Amino acid sequence: MSALILISVLAVLVLYLGLFGNKSWLAPIGVLGLLGAIALFASGWHIDHHLMGGMVKFDRFSIGFNIAMVAITVLIFLFGPDYYARAKDNVAEQYALMLFSLVGGFLLSSYTNLLMLFLGIEVLSIPLYILAGAKKNSLRSNEASFKYFLLGSFSTAFLLMGIALLYGLTGSFELTVLGEHIANAGSSDMLLNFGLFFTVTGLAFKMGAVPFHFWKPDVYQGAPTLVTIFMATVVMMAATAGFFRLIDVTGMPGMLAQIMVLLVLATLLVGNVIALRQTNFKRLMAYSSIAHSGFLLLALLTDEGLVEGHGTAVGRTLLYYTFTYSLATTGLFILFTIAKRANNGAEHNDIFRGLFAAKPWLALCALAMLLSLAGIPLTAGFIAKYQVFLLAIGAGWLKVMGFGVLMALLGIYYYFMVVRELFVRPDQPVTFVVSPLNWLVVSVCAVAVLVLGVWPSLI
Amino acid sequence: MELLALVLIPFIAAMLLLAFRPAAMARGIALVSTLLSFALVLWLWYSWNGSMVIGVSHDWVPAWGMRFVLGYGGIGLLMLILTGLLFPFIIGTGYKQPVGDPSLVNALLLFCQSALFGVFLAQNAFLFYVFFELSLIPIFFLLMFWGGAHKRSITIRFFLYTLLGGLALLFSVAYVTLQTPVPHSADFTALAALDLPMNVQVWLFWTMFLAFAIKMPIFPFHSWQPETYTMAPTQGTMVLSAVMGKMGLYGIVVFLFTIVPEGALHWSSWVIGISLFGALYAAVIAFRQNDFKRMIAYSSMSHFGLMCAALFTWNAYGISGTLYQTLAHGVLMVCLFYIVGAVAQRTGSTDFAGMGGLKTKMPRMALLFMFVTANAIALPLTQSFVGEWLMYNGLWQWNNWTAFAGVALIVLGAIYMLYAYQRVMLGPDRAIDVTDADDEEHFFLVPLIAITLLVGIFPNVILHVVDGPVQQLLNSFTSLP
Repeated sequence: MSALILISVLAVLVLYLGLFGNKSWLAPIGVLGLLGAIALFASGWHIDHHLMGGMVKFDRFSIGFNIAMVAITVLIFLFGPDYYARAKDNVAEQYALMLFSLVGGFLLSSYTNLLMLFLGIEVLSIPLYILAGAKKNSLRSNEASFKYFLLGSFSTAFLLMGIALLYGLTGSFELTVLGEHIANAGSSDMLLNFGLFFTVTGLAFKMGAVPFHFWKPDVYQGAPTLVTIFMATVVMMAATAGFFRLIDVTGMPGMLAQIMVLLVLATLLVGNVIALRQTNFKRLMAYSSIAHSGFLLLALLTDEGLVEGHGTAVGRTLLYYTFTYSLATTGLFILFTIAKRANNGAEHNDIFRGLFAAKPWLALCALAMLLSLAGIPLTAGFIAKYQVFLLAIGAGWLKVMGFGVLMALLGIYYYFMVVRELFVRPDQPVTFVVSPLNWLVVSVCAVAVLVLGVWPSLI
Repeated sequence: MELLALVLIPFIAAMLLLAFRPAAMARGIALVSTLLSFALVLWLWYSWNGSMVIGVSHDWVPAWGMRFVLGYGGIGLLMLILTGLLFPFIIGTGYKQPVGDPSLVNALLLFCQSALFGVFLAQNAFLFYVFFELSLIPIFFLLMFWGGAHKRSITIRFFLYTLLGGLALLFSVAYVTLQTPVPHSADFTALAALDLPMNVQVWLFWTMFLAFAIKMPIFPFHSWQPETYTMAPTQGTMVLSAVMGKMGLYGIVVFLFTIVPEGALHWSSWVIGISLFGALYAAVIAFRQNDFKRMIAYSSMSHFGLMCAALFTWNAYGISGTLYQTLAHGVLMVCLFYIVGAVAQRTGSTDFAGMGGLKTKMPRMALLFMFVTANAIALPLTQSFVGEWLMYNGLWQWNNWTAFAGVALIVLGAIYMLYAYQRVMLGPDRAIDVTDADDEEHFFLVPLIAITLLVGIFPNVILHVVDGPVQQLLNSFTSLP
């Protein structure tokens, strides 16, 4: 609870600091506050807190996710001073909006009441609609903001519809009541199936699962890169955690399992196949994030609901997967910004050309992170995928999992198209300018990905 | 501890090369490192008492059965000997036929050796898989940086092809690990104790076999091989054909024959069929090639087909013969690709069109090549003769017709090798200026030829190593229903 308040107050504080026009203070204060939040979360690690009349529960799962989200936000804030070095105004607002959005993420990872789910999604999303359009003079940024807002509100309407149906069925917003209802009444009820379907639709939209993925490439491409990082990492983690909270109570009754299988297959297929043809790095990462959400959905599919002890394995896998994915994505987007500057604003995949010749260490970091996203052994991405495979085999989804293996192979192809560019010599000499802080953040991301890959039991 | 050292020596040497980039001394350092590893392997061989040795055993992630276990039995030891023996020569190739930045090339080769030692030492299926994939990464860069024409597309295709097999293997490993009793274990001993139902073994066989069939490669999974071998720099081709292909054969023994023996028995006539067909097919194509290196690539594929077929005959002749032949084939491939490189360096290309009549200009090289050719077509007293003779015996016991296909392979092998010799060395004298084999080339080829002859005359030195384990395997087969 205190961490929740701390972050909210921090956001307001940052907003006020913006009035003084001195933007060099913003990031350090933000980082300090975030570290404080990590400490507060960590101190309550072993005890489950129920808050707000039992509508929110901080247990190990949510605290793990919250710490991971805050840690990634710290990395993003550390990238901030360099990213906003040339921006004149509204910097404070952007930091503050990210913090508000983070609060929404906390709610999503810890709700036990469907109203809190709705609140969490809204608190998470509304700042994002503004952030996506933060480059006021850029057409693409405006397009991204508008598209995200329209589709986002549409999906929220679906979510509300689902929640209303579930309320009509059980007469309560409490997840436990819903769980008991499913356990007693079985899953043949049409009202239940539709309610779950609409609720899952709203969550799948936030994760970017096919066919609710259309916003992702355009928004990732149009939004400022820093905001893109935030959406690809923290928002993805929050949406996954929120999805898990629901599934861990409801399990996979009746029609829901079939819908989830279709979602998994479609997401894996579309994400990976369309990524093969992407030449714009931001769009490539957008489709790769769709592909990864396919694997996350596969892990979610294996959750049996109220079966004792199973959900923790799924939750741990999701946390490991999203956290390591976020580390690699953060580092790569920072390198992307560096390379984009070196190439006069181009966003094509080949802007990474010559990185190995100019900055060998950064190229090796990029290599480690790309290998991790591709899922090559001894990187965290590999362990993450392997955990999903183990879960899927354990739950008996052998054919879906075989399809996932094939799609992972496609994934390796497009990541290696980028790896190839790292080592190609450019046509004209390119100078990459790297600030020490960026160098540090990229190194931390790459090393963390490798360390977590070799010692996966650290998480 | 020695086993850990075997993995770490090349790894540390490679890290040193990467960190300090000693361009001039890089080959020397790499050579010392590989010789050190070989000495260690010889010591392991000397001190081996015929049973399974477990050197290192640590928990890694106990929940998923991942453990860091290194050890070796007879078959693993043979593979260690192969890797230890050939890598000094592969590094040595760089002296006469250099490619690229020596520190980087040798570092990549050493990384690869480290991973290969890991593969042959691993006693845990998951660890095996990790090393199996890691050995691919250095080769990927070797091919990507210093390959020939169309290197990008060919390398990516090779990489995806082998990764497809790798992922199928990973799927199998995950599946069988979850079948073990809780707490799960992916150790080979635990997996061998599994008695999987027949209907599972039937499909699990293919998800595992796919990885190894692509790695060797065996007939319908081979389409990456000729172009990759042709395009790769000589050292890369050597590693691929002489050592990495053997991971496939080794994997068949440790995975298929121990974890899904009934599945392997069920499919063995199919595997023998496609392997022999592939061997004959590759032999015929080898005969039609106009490119020296490509021809050797197809001949390697033909040999692998025969080895894989003999492995599935389920008798001591076939299995021992195949294991013996892994070493012979490794030595042979290093020799052949070295000669291809040496000749191509002088004539400017690997095309047969630019060769012919070289014998008058380079009689010594012609003689060395003759020795190697004699080994390639398995003349008596050479190493390949022993291996092929055993493999034919195995095939004969399996079925007369498969033995007939084997005999056809001998004839075809002789035809394409001698035809190649003729097109390279014999014929009217060319008016091109080439030098004869120099001291360095003698220093490279003569020891390898000496090994060929010595082991050909005293095959028991090697057969002794694999005798016990092969008997053990066969005993486990006879207990099958």
